[in-house]
Amino acid sequence: MLINFKMRQQTELPLKEDKANFFLQISTGVSVFLFSMVLAAYFMTSSVIASWNRAIIDGMTVQIMPSTQAISADEEKVRIGKVIHFFENLDGVEKVALVKEKQIKRLMAPWLGANADIEALPLPKLLNVHLKNGKTFPFEKVSEDLKQDFPYASMDNHGLWLKKLVKSATSVKTLALFVLLLVLSASILSIMYAITTSLKVHQNIIEILHIIGATDNYIAKQYARRASIVGLASSLVGTLTGIIALRIISHLSSGLETGLIGSASLSATHWMVLVSVPIFAALLAMCTSFWCVKHNLKEMY
Amino acid sequence: MEPYKNILTQPIVDMHNVSIRYGKDPEILSDINLTLDKGSFHFLTGKSGAGKTSLLSMMYLALKPSSGTVTVFGSNIGYTSREDMAMMRRKIGVVFQDFHLLEHLSAYDNVAAPLRVRGMSENEINKRVKELLSWVELDKSLDKICSTLSGGEKQRIAIARAVINRPEILLADEPTGNVDDDIAFKLMKLFVELNKLGTTVVIATHSTDLIARYNYPQIHLENKKLKIIPALRRIKNADQF
Repeated sequence: MLINFKMRQQTELPLKEDKANFFLQISTGVSVFLFSMVLAAYFMTSSVIASWNRAIIDGMTVQIMPSTQAISADEEKVRIGKVIHFFENLDGVEKVALVKEKQIKRLMAPWLGANADIEALPLPKLLNVHLKNGKTFPFEKVSEDLKQDFPYASMDNHGLWLKKLVKSATSVKTLALFVLLLVLSASILSIMYAITTSLKVHQNIIEILHIIGATDNYIAKQYARRASIVGLASSLVGTLTGIIALRIISHLSSGLETGLIGSASLSATHWMVLVSVPIFAALLAMCTSFWCVKHNLKEMY
Repeated sequence: MEPYKNILTQPIVDMHNVSIRYGKDPEILSDINLTLDKGSFHFLTGKSGAGKTSLLSMMYLALKPSSGTVTVFGSNIGYTSREDMAMMRRKIGVVFQDFHLLEHLSAYDNVAAPLRVRGMSENEINKRVKELLSWVELDKSLDKICSTLSGGEKQRIAIARAVINRPEILLADEPTGNVDDDIAFKLMKLFVELNKLGTTVVIATHSTDLIARYNYPQIHLENKKLKIIPALRRIKNADQF
């Protein structure tokens, strides 16, 4: 009885058997896949830009060349200490840290090999100088003072070359945003096309529904319900495929020496946004079809 | 006294100087004036192509006149919103010559459709639909898909769908054309009973037998014009038309 009763609660429009469904499923699935990929690219670029910006704001690297004369370890410590002291006394500097040998070894490994005895090599010592947030730092003046007081030390301002990279990456980000809008527009247009076709196919049924007193909302709701189901199902497939593709790309790129783009990863928030794409797609399909049906019905009758 | 009189005698359908044409074609109906009072019963007659379907279409709000005014339930359909039109259609039952059923649905769902559109509960729908389908002797075909039913069965489903809402206006185009005499008599009895309960009925028909058997006035369409033939006069002067 219950099954029989439930079976009878069906919609008047045979939208489940609609041929336009297949088109809608494929186009939504592909669109959502593309959307997920481009969205991930957008997030990654944003992360990279953010990390580069942090580096620009954060500070600079100071290079201390090894002494040309043979000096003891204590004398070397004094040489380095003087430079550290020079920076620590500057206004706007938050912290000065000597880059450890272990870290230098890791940085040099791609060129010298993992087992290289770097202590035997005349490599410069590096200082990471962290700047205070919001303070303007007079790079050029400090650089000149440093050159004058400690000719064996030189400053490397990250900002000079990172700014150019940030500019390029921002263009990539803008392009990604444009592609996202393009995919979104294409999705909306394909939904509208599928709905318009379906309305023409079911014109007779819609006429009957109007005659028995159905409002435009009643008809639009049937379409919206169907579109949200189709949208959710196909966008789940699209997003899942996108996530699998991202994992594969991430796995393949992990073997590469990424260096500068090492920070191009997705945060937990980014993953959450990506996972919620099917819900967004279902809502978009629902709203678009509802509006499209209402608009077309006004034009049709 | 005048306003009181107007409320009591307000027509349910009122057409004033109505003309209908499709596109640039010649007029089908010209300068029509018609008033249907609440609870009236009329036969609609005229040759094929005389404009019967167009006249009925205006009554069930599917067609707006090319000129003139049509007022249904006191609202000028030229100025009624789509939402209000839908609400008005819920008070009108229509039986089409070609049934206009939802062929992919069962007999049950076809008859239930006007109630679902109104948002009625499934329990109430179940009760009403089963009762009515039993009355039109289709209780054993509840779950049969309409496309598999005979013409006569479809006709009865169409009639059941038209009356399930207990309409204020019932419009029927050749409602007894596809059924045998017994069922035709039973269906006409249903229309008469509904009319006694206050439903305004208009039946388009070519059947002289049907017209002769029931003593109701006739709306006759001929040469784009409309004539009302009162019941008694029609019987006395039946040969004139």
